[in-house]
Amino acid sequence: MTNFAQLFFDAASLGGLYAMAALGIALIFGVMNLVNFAHGEYIAFCVFALIVPSTDAVAVMLLGRAPALILVPLILALGAAIAIASEHAVFRHLRRADPVAMMISSFALGFVIRNALLAAYGGRPKAISLWPDLNTPVRIAGAEVPLLQLIVILTTLLVVAGLAALLKKTRLGLEMRAAAENFTMARLLGVKANVVITGAFALSGALAAAVALIMATQTGVADVRMGGQVMLVAFIATVIGGLGSLPGAVAAGFLIGAASVLLQAFLPLDARPFRDAFLYTLVIVCLLVRPQGLFVAASAKPRV
Amino acid sequence: MKPLAFASALAVLALPAAAEDITVGFAIAQSGWMEAYDTPAATAAKIRIEEINANGGLLGRKIRWVEADTKTDRQQSARAGLQVIDEGADMMVVSCDYDFGAPAALSAEAEGMVSFFLCAEDVKAGIQGVGPNSFSGSVLAAVQGATMAEWSHAKRDAKTGYVLLDTTIEYNKGICTGFDWMFPQLEGTEIVGRDTFKNDDASIASQITRIKALPEEPDVIMLCSYIPGAASAVRQIRAAGINSLILNGSAVDGSYWLDATPDLSGFVVPVQGSIYGDDPRPEVEAFNAAYEKATGSRPASSYAYPGYVLMDLWSKAVERAGTLDGNAVTTELEKMKGEQTAFGPRSFTNELHHQNSAEMQIIEIQNGKPAVVENWTISNPVPLDVLLN
Repeated sequence: MTNFAQLFFDAASLGGLYAMAALGIALIFGVMNLVNFAHGEYIAFCVFALIVPSTDAVAVMLLGRAPALILVPLILALGAAIAIASEHAVFRHLRRADPVAMMISSFALGFVIRNALLAAYGGRPKAISLWPDLNTPVRIAGAEVPLLQLIVILTTLLVVAGLAALLKKTRLGLEMRAAAENFTMARLLGVKANVVITGAFALSGALAAAVALIMATQTGVADVRMGGQVMLVAFIATVIGGLGSLPGAVAAGFLIGAASVLLQAFLPLDARPFRDAFLYTLVIVCLLVRPQGLFVAASAKPRV
Repeated sequence: MKPLAFASALAVLALPAAAEDITVGFAIAQSGWMEAYDTPAATAAKIRIEEINANGGLLGRKIRWVEADTKTDRQQSARAGLQVIDEGADMMVVSCDYDFGAPAALSAEAEGMVSFFLCAEDVKAGIQGVGPNSFSGSVLAAVQGATMAEWSHAKRDAKTGYVLLDTTIEYNKGICTGFDWMFPQLEGTEIVGRDTFKNDDASIASQITRIKALPEEPDVIMLCSYIPGAASAVRQIRAAGINSLILNGSAVDGSYWLDATPDLSGFVVPVQGSIYGDDPRPEVEAFNAAYEKATGSRPASSYAYPGYVLMDLWSKAVERAGTLDGNAVTTELEKMKGEQTAFGPRSFTNELHHQNSAEMQIIEIQNGKPAVVENWTISNPVPLDVLLN
C-alpha cells in the first residue's frame, strides 16, 4: 500500500469524477442560486439512455451500440437537452422564487425523473457492456492503472481548462461571470438572462452526461439510484469549495476524492466501514475552519 | 337512515362469513425499486395457490389473495399491512427485505397472524426481529457464505481466502459471517486479508490495490454484495487482472447482469434451484415452465423460488393444524423437520424460523455461461449464536 503512484492515480481519478459532478452543480448555482438536486438523476437518465427501455431483466443496448465517436457527443447532447428541458419546464417559472422553493422543486424534479426511469426500465439494475477494454490496466510509474482512470483524469483537466477558457475568452463566458457576480446588474447592462441560464444548464447537463459515461464504463451497470451518491458528494464539494466558485468546486471535488481513497487505504479494518463518517467529519472540520468555503466566490463577499 | 346503517353494518360483518374463501394478503412492493424482487417471488406464491386450488383447495376452501402496495417505503409498508388485514387476510406475505417487510409483518404479528417474508435472509426477519409468528421462505445468508467456504475447500482446494464485504446492507454481512465461521474451521486454510466497500461506490480502485499488494493472489475472494455493486466490483476485479475464484451469495444469481463483465469465468453462486434448465430435480424445471406459462418468461433469478416454497409449507401446516389460527399454524410449522419441497428439505424450530442449513445448487459461470456444477449441503448447520452475533 506504500505505492504512492498507485494511490495518486486512484485518488485523482475518483477526485476527477467528483470534480466534474461538482462543477455541474456549481455552474447552475453561480447563475441562479439554485442547488439542483436533480443532477444525480440527469446522470442516471444518461446511463439509461444507452439501453432500450424495457422492464425485462436483460438489457439490450440502444445508443450504446453507436461507435464512441458518435456516442460521446450524442450522450453529451442528450444530457444538455434534459437539463435545458428541465429549466424550461420547471426552473424558468421559479426564477423569482425563494432559493429554498427552487431547491425543493429540484428534489421534486429528481423524483419525477427517477420514477419515470423506474416505470420505463423497471427496478432491477441492468448490465451495460460499454467499452470493457477501457478497464484494462496499463503500467505507469510502478502503478497499474486502468486506462479509464487515465481518461478520467485527462478529461477532467480538459473540461476544467475548456471551461476556464470559455468563461474567460468568450462572450457567453463573460456574461455568465457577470451574471454570477450580480445578476440584476448584468441584466441592466444588457446580458440576456435566458441565454446565460440556458447555457449554464446545457453545460451542467453535458457534465452530468460525462459523469454518466465514466460511471457506466467503470461499473458496467445501470441503476436508477446510481447518481445519488455522486450527487451528494458533488454537492458537498460545492459547499466546501465555496458555493458559486467554479475553481473551488473542482478543487474540493478532487480533495474529497483524494481523502476518500486515502481513508480507504490507511484506516484500520475495523474503522473502514465507517470511512464515510470520517470523510464527513473532515468536511465538518473544513467548514468550521472556513465556513465560507475554501474559495469564496466574488459575489459572496460583502462589497463595502 | 338508522335501519339502513344497521343493515349495511350487518352486511359488512356478514361478508367474511359468507366468503368461504381463505384470504392470503400480499403486502409487497408493486412499485419502486423493490418491485423487481417482490413480484417474481409473489408470482411464484400465486402459482402454488393456483395449484392448491386446482387440487381442491385448502381445508376444502378456495384460496384467494388481496394485495397492497408498500411502494418500497417503510411507512407505506405498515399501511399496506393494515390494509390487507382490513380486507380479511388470514395470513400475510411481506416484502423480500427485512427493512421493507418488517413494518407490515409487525401488523400481522399484532393480530396473531402468521406472516412470511418472501425472501429475507437475515435472522432478524423472524422470531428475533418481528415475533413468534413471523417466518421467511428463503435460506439464511450465512448458510450461503458457509456453503461457499466448505464447497470451495472441498472441491477447488481453496486454502487462502480474501473477504470483500459491502457494508451497505445486513444481508451482505450475513454472507461474510457464514464464510468467516466456516472457512477457518477447514484444514489448512487462512484468511489472508479483508476489506470493505459500499454498494454505490463509484470505484473500488483502492480495494483492488490492496488485493494486488498481497504477496500471492488468494485462491478465493468471498464477495459479500448484491447487484449493482457486486457486478461493478467483479468488473473492476477482473479488469485489474485478478483471477481468483470469486464466491458470492445467492443475491447475484441470474444471467441478466453478465454483460457487465463479458466472458466472465471462475464465478460461483449458491442457489436454492437453477433457473438455467439444468437443475437435477425435475420439480424445479416443472416450476420454471409453470412460471414461464404464467408470466411469459422464465424466472430472472432464483429469488422467485422462496415464494413457492413458503406457500407450500404454510398450506401444509394449515392442513395439519386443521385451522387458520396463527398460533396453531406456527406450532405445525415448527414441527417441520426436513419437510420435502420442490426445492429441497426445509425445517423450522421454536428458536429459528429460517433455514440454518440447506441443500444448495452450486452455479459456476464459465466464459459467461452459468451452469450447475454440483449440489452441496453444509456439514453442520450454522449455530444460532453465530447468526445472532
